[in-house]
Amino acid sequence: MCFLLFVLPAFLLLIFVIGGYNSLISKRNQIRNIFGTMDAMLKKRWDLVPNLVAAVKGYAEHERQLFEKVSELRAKALSGALSTEQKVNLDNLMTQLVGVVRGVAERYPDLKASENFLHLQRTLNELEEQISAARRAFNAAVTDYNNTVQMFPTNLLATLFGFERQELFQIEASEREVPSASFGQT
Amino acid sequence: MKTFEEIKTFYEQTLYPDLAVLEQRRKRILGGLGIGLVVLVGVGLFLAGPLFALTEEPAAVIVPLLVTLLLFVGVLVVLGWGYQRDFKEQIIRRLVCFLEPGLQYDPKGKIAQEDFLRSELFQTRPNLYKGDDRVWGRVGKTQMEFSEILAQHIQRSGKTTTVHTIFRGLFFIADFSKHFRTKTFVLPDTAERVLGRFGKTLQSLNPARPNLIVLEDPRFEKEFVVYGQDPIEARYILSPSLMERILQFRQKTGRRIFLSFVNSKLYLAVWFDRPLFEPKLFRSLLDFQTIQEYFGDIQLAVGIVEDLNLNTRIWSKE
Repeated sequence: MCFLLFVLPAFLLLIFVIGGYNSLISKRNQIRNIFGTMDAMLKKRWDLVPNLVAAVKGYAEHERQLFEKVSELRAKALSGALSTEQKVNLDNLMTQLVGVVRGVAERYPDLKASENFLHLQRTLNELEEQISAARRAFNAAVTDYNNTVQMFPTNLLATLFGFERQELFQIEASEREVPSASFGQT
Repeated sequence: MKTFEEIKTFYEQTLYPDLAVLEQRRKRILGGLGIGLVVLVGVGLFLAGPLFALTEEPAAVIVPLLVTLLLFVGVLVVLGWGYQRDFKEQIIRRLVCFLEPGLQYDPKGKIAQEDFLRSELFQTRPNLYKGDDRVWGRVGKTQMEFSEILAQHIQRSGKTTTVHTIFRGLFFIADFSKHFRTKTFVLPDTAERVLGRFGKTLQSLNPARPNLIVLEDPRFEKEFVVYGQDPIEARYILSPSLMERILQFRQKTGRRIFLSFVNSKLYLAVWFDRPLFEPKLFRSLLDFQTIQEYFGDIQLAVGIVEDLNLNTRIWSKE
């Protein structure tokens, strides 16, 4: 009887520790996995840079500086010499570039109607929506992980094993301003 | 989408003459049925009296009455058959063409069972699969088809027969506007509504479905449970805008709806407890409300393309 009084709680505690720890690990891996996919999608977006620049260069001369900056950062990104900060910078510039492309398309109907540009638009739309889906998935995974890290009793394990709360993906202020109506609704 | 005025004008100017002819037939069938019923009951009672006197068995009364009833049902089926066929050819076919001229209609056709199974919406395999009123064609840029379907699993053990209705209602298939590789399912959320958080835990443990996907919209989450093989692709398909449209469609129909996204196709099942597109023998055809109900049912199905914005082709899929 006495044996049971000690062994049973110890056994239950062990189950809780193993289960809780594995749950935290799997949730953190889920975040990493989605982050990896998101990164791959952002890289796919960088690959569109030459096409985007070529499509609108003749129509937006005053944006030449932006085109050059994006092209330069992309070249660095391809050689793998980009720091995290520069990656974020490239992404922000990409968002600006997409905004410019959309604006130009609205001003020049002949460009908007061309077969090549339509194809580019469709690819870009698809990629943008995939990136947005990946960000949503990332935030869902982070929320799930954070709930486990902060809620009782798993927060005890999180503190014990050093699992920290993660930040949600925040959209850049400039990105919020990008008009999306020009490409239709999703 | 046609307006109420357009429907009313079409009803008055195009449908009414044929409806008037069909209405005469309906009345004749009803009259014939009335007389048939009186005659058959009379004959049944006439036979039941002497039989009971001869045998003194209660079965002697029940058997002739049952035979009478069966004969009555037989007469009803024979008389109603031609009426139903003509009603569908003359009224339903024209309603479909009026609502969407590019569509084809086959009163006896149905969604193929392989397509029903391919949707993976329902996990029990039916051993009785029936359907009719198949409509197919292109609405804008979207290829679609739908029909009424009854899928059941009938199990016989000894003398007991158990009928499990897997699905009954409108089954709709359309080409989805985006490319995708994995499978995503959107099903009515009963477990979470009944059991709350525990229900969600149970759903996440469902071995028959892929991973549980928790979406951001709490209203959507309250109505539906989402399973998907890839959390990113599920969100790519279920954009905030599509979630909103699915919610609106659910509210509009007020029915249980099931969606799956498999092989770049959208499968949508709307559960109905009543038959669809069938003539009603005991209601006047000249009553506009009766016709309006048929309009409503067809418009509901044809309108799915518009309701879920399937014609928007701004992605790489054309």
